[in-house]
Amino acid sequence: MGAVTYPDSTVIQFVNTTMIPIQLPSDSKPYADDFNVKWTPTIIILDEDGKEHARTVGFLPPEEFVPSLLLGILKAYFDLNRFSEALAHAEMLVVEYPKSKPAREAIYLRGVAGCKSTHDPKYLKAAYVKQEAEYPESEWAVSAQPYLLLL
Amino acid sequence: MAEIQWLNDMTTASSKGKAEKKPILLGFFNSE
Repeated sequence: MGAVTYPDSTVIQFVNTTMIPIQLPSDSKPYADDFNVKWTPTIIILDEDGKEHARTVGFLPPEEFVPSLLLGILKAYFDLNRFSEALAHAEMLVVEYPKSKPAREAIYLRGVAGCKSTHDPKYLKAAYVKQEAEYPESEWAVSAQPYLLLL
Repeated sequence: MAEIQWLNDMTTASSKGKAEKKPILLGFFNSE
């Protein structure tokens, strides 16, 4: 990560403007134990109060790292019931990084966040339709299958 | 910006996260 991903200009710009970055050694006490870190690189997304919402383990190239951070931020806002912010980050991820792996989960969560914030199930069905059309091999397409039955 | 502006202190990161209302990116690197 330190040789390829962190020096990438898009990564630098995104991280420095969107997040508070902190880097610790894998034997850092008490945090390595508190966060159950067993391998590196481990990347964890915390909310403003320090609660974990997402993590990745292992190398990610720049073109997957920014989307993975967007997905982590999306999950944090989703977990906190801050749906408008969750939807904004989902939209950014889906539009700007459609080929990335996190885009598939973002489409699913965009549907759920849209439904939860409006109580309109059309967002769930839209999530299924997009998954099936663009990522039929995705596990998230399978997860969204029941929404096909919605009116 | 030439590089990521990493912090190395959790207390500072938590304070900045609350003050700036931003999520925290916590990265662990190999210490060996």
